[in-house]
Parts: sequence; structure tokens; C-alpha cells
Amino acid sequence: MKGSDPMDKKKIRWMPYAYSAPSLILIALIVIFPILYTAYISLTNMNIYNWFDFKIIGLKNYKTALFMLDSGFLAALVRTIVWTISNMILQLFIAFGLASLLNNNSLKLKNLYKTILMFPWAMPGYVSILLWKTGMFNSRFGLLNQWLEKLGLQTQVWLSGDLSAFLSCMTVNLWLALPFMIMIMDGALQSVSKSYYEYADMNGANPLEKTLMITVPLIKPVIGPAVIITIFTTFKQFDVIFLLTQQAGAKTGADIHTVLTYAYENAFITNNYGFSSAISIIIFALLIVFTLATRKRLKEEVQ
Amino acid sequence: MKKRKITRKIILNIFFIMCCFIALLPILYAFSVSFNTSNSLVDSDFSFIPKDFTFKNYIAVIMDKPLLLWFKNSSILAVSTLVFSLGVAIPAAYAFSRHRFKGRKTILNTLILLNAFPAILSMFAIYRLLSPLGLINTKLGLVIVYIGTMAIFALWNLKGYFDTVPMGIEEAARIDGASDFIIAKSIMIPLAKPSIIVTAVMILIYVWNEYIYAITFLTGADNYTLAAGLYSLQATETSGNWPIFAAASLMVSLPVLIMFLFAQKHMVSGLTVGGMKG
Repeated sequence: MKGSDPMDKKKIRWMPYAYSAPSLILIALIVIFPILYTAYISLTNMNIYNWFDFKIIGLKNYKTALFMLDSGFLAALVRTIVWTISNMILQLFIAFGLASLLNNNSLKLKNLYKTILMFPWAMPGYVSILLWKTGMFNSRFGLLNQWLEKLGLQTQVWLSGDLSAFLSCMTVNLWLALPFMIMIMDGALQSVSKSYYEYADMNGANPLEKTLMITVPLIKPVIGPAVIITIFTTFKQFDVIFLLTQQAGAKTGADIHTVLTYAYENAFITNNYGFSSAISIIIFALLIVFTLATRKRLKEEVQ
Repeated sequence: MKKRKITRKIILNIFFIMCCFIALLPILYAFSVSFNTSNSLVDSDFSFIPKDFTFKNYIAVIMDKPLLLWFKNSSILAVSTLVFSLGVAIPAAYAFSRHRFKGRKTILNTLILLNAFPAILSMFAIYRLLSPLGLINTKLGLVIVYIGTMAIFALWNLKGYFDTVPMGIEEAARIDGASDFIIAKSIMIPLAKPSIIVTAVMILIYVWNEYIYAITFLTGADNYTLAAGLYSLQATETSGNWPIFAAASLMVSLPVLIMFLFAQKHMVSGLTVGGMKG
């Protein structure tokens, strides 16, 4: 056995690379190559007119995106940030409220309610969005307009005005995202030991004090990672806005681009590839900064 | 005092019944419409229980639309993506969890950053990559895209779980002369079952629900996946058959619902790095 040691060592040194090679090669092809290629195209004037004879034009696309206000990118970026923040605030409050009520001891059917409330999470996302689009918002088939009519009110074209389309998208996004947040909150609330509340009761604390002084600080580290994931998915949310308002051939007229739908439109609808690539790289840079910042925070909190 | 408690209880239950109703609303409506005879729902007293109960829409979806073909296409894509994804991810995750080698930490951290790039923004570049290889409008092309897109998630999620499996049994087996392959097959994979199941279900659901690559890369209704097909069946503001679309939607969702329920009990223990979702 001793004689074969050096060979084994050499073999062991190579093995991890061999094991991970197929996975890493696929990642290189499907993840890394597109990023590098996008970075390259972002420096060119590739568009529908310069499909083959595109040339390097330096940082012009970046300048257009970041400094020309009428390019639409900055507006989309601001809208995406508003979208992310408002969605997150609503999600956290509603999920906290619902989870707290669910944990009320007198609620016997808790598990049944919880299972039903998880339903929007289990459904395929794009199917739900399309069902909302036709079943709820559609001016002919939609339930909302049918109800309005029944009440004798003016029917609405829900997805065409900017504000009403934005709010409609937010409603659908909340409907889709709340189950996950409720589940996380529910788990977090159950992790808080009852003895803290008993101690607080003995000291005459009121419900608000109990929530602010005990519940919130104690569930914060538990829900932290889930909140950060949700911030990412909300910022990167494409399906809701795209499917509800921007499908090719079925645009509703609302201009509520977020950065992702804006990059998509510039690549696949107006075929402005150079510009779209520059936007993609800017979005990537923003997401990397955010990833690094949150990872550092999370690590500190764990220690 | 007791009366007040009961009132509170009733109000709480009514509140949650309403919440459940909202959570199910679009699905209930689609369900009822899918069993309804007519396309015109403009009649004023619509109810959630269909008045003229019929299977007509379901039969129409299966007979008149290539739904079964799309189902077959989606199944082929989902199963091949799953097999190859796990096939490449399990050895890689094992290597990153159990071996210490040069570049390990750097690669792991880089993967997290790379994952920040939204998959949808890669579509144009991937099109340029697959097009000269003749892989556009082929199942193989899409499978490669799907495996690559899920590779970082699969690797990180499995690696995270492998890390929690204690080394003890493995070391004992190694002293007995077991190879990596034997250890992975008879110790690691059985012990890491929850995370393998969750990873597998996430991959299946991802492929089943993916529509944007499918509608961009596939042409011709015969090649469509269920998601791309359903996308093409949509009812628009003024035209389209909403009952048929509703019936198709529910049929497409059913396998996902089953998979989700099946995986649900493993969901919490099997997801180690939720951060990789999406």
C-alpha cells in the first residue's frame, strides 16, 4: 500500500477538478459566456441596422443609459426601486399580520388555512399571472369589471393607465409572493420562546411594546435571509410586468418598464442590442454590489 | 368575557376564510369557467358553480389543441434536464464539500456573484452561441440552457447540504478502502435525500414553468413546451377562448401542484441556500 501513496496523492489532487468539470463547463457556457459577450456587445453599436457590420463605439451606450434622461433607463431604474421597496414593505407588514393572527391559540383550523394560503406559491407563476390577466383584469371576461357592473359602476381598463397598471402588477406580485413570506414569518414567530412574553406580561407590557421589544428583534435574524432573497426576486421580477402589460402584440399601453423589461424590450422588440447589453451590465453591477453588501451584513449577523 | 372571546373567534375565522377566498380567487374562477358551456360570460348573474356543467372545454383542449404533444415535449425536457443536472451537480457538490483544492473558495464565491446576473438577460448571447451550432429550435439546445441556468443553484444547494452530513461514517468507509464513487452512492446520496429531492423538484418546476426561452427559441406549435403552448392559447382583451384557456391552464398546473405538495415536507430541510432561488 505504501508504495502507491504518491500516485494516490496525485490522483486525489486532480479528482475534485474532474468531478466538478462538467458542471463548471456548463456554467462557463450558459452563465459566464453570455456575461462576457454582453459586456463586449455593450461597447458596440450593434442594432437592427448594424447586425453584421457593428463596430466598437466605446462607452457611448453607457453614457446614453446613465446620463441621457430621455433614454428611459433612469426612469425604469427609479420605478424598479419604488416597485421593490413598496412591494417589500407591504409584504412584510401583511405577512407579519397574517402570521401573527394565524398563531392565535384559539384558531383551530390553522393548518387548513395555512395550506390554502400556500396555494398561490404552488401554482406555476406564469399560469397564475395569465389567469389574473384574463380572469380578473380583462375588460370583457374579468371578474373585477363584472363586479363593478353589478354595482352599477363604470368599468375600468385596468392594465392601460400607468398607475392602475402598476398597482395591478403590484397586487398580482403580492398575491404570488405572500405565501412564501407568510411561511417564513410563521416559522420565525414559532421560534420565539413563550417565556419572553410571560416575563413581559408580568412587567405589565402592552401588546405594542411586546411586538416592538420582543417579537421584532427576535424574528429579525430569522427572517433576514428570506427578506434579502425576496428583495432580489422582486427587483428581478420580470414575468408579472411583462405578461400583464408588455407581451408582444398585446401591449396594453401602460409604460411601467422596470429595468429588466426595459432591457428585454431593447434587445428583442426594438433590436437595440448594444444599448440593451449596456443596460444588462449596469443591472449586473448593481446586483453584484447589493449581493456583496448583504453577504457581508449576513456574515456579521451570524457571528 | 366568554362571549367576547367567541365573537373574536368568529371574526378571526371569517377573516381567514376571506383571505383563503382571495388566495384561490383566480383559480376558482378559472375552474368554474372551464366547466361552463359558453364563451360569453357577460351574463349578469355569474356564479362560481357552473350552470351548464360540461367537460366540453377539457375535451376540446385535448382533441383540438396539441396539448398532449406539448405535454410530451415538456416531459422530455424536464426529465433530461433533471437527469443531466443532478448528474453533473452531485459529483461537483461532493468535490466542493469534501475536498480541499486550490481555487475552491474563489470558485464558490464567484458562482454566487455570477448568479446575480438575471438569466433573461443572457438570452441574446445564448442565442448567438447556439445558433451557429444549429441548436436553436431543438430540445437539446433548450436542455443545455436549462441545465446551465440551474447549475449554480443545484451545486450550491447540494453542497450546502453535503456540508451538514457528518464525516464520521465516510472516514470509516474510506479506511475500509471504499472509493469516492462507492461513498457517494451508498452513503452521501442516501443521507442527502431531502436536499436531492428538493433540488430535483426545483429543477422540474423550473423547466415546467419556463416560457420565455421556450417562446423565443422554439418555432412551430409542434415543438412547443406546455408553457409556450399555453402562452400561445391566451385570450386577449377582445378575442380568444377564455374557457378553453382556463381548462388548459388548470391541466398544465396540476403536475406542478402535485410535485409541490410532494416536496413540501422536505422544503425547509432541503433548501440550504434559498439565496440561489430564481
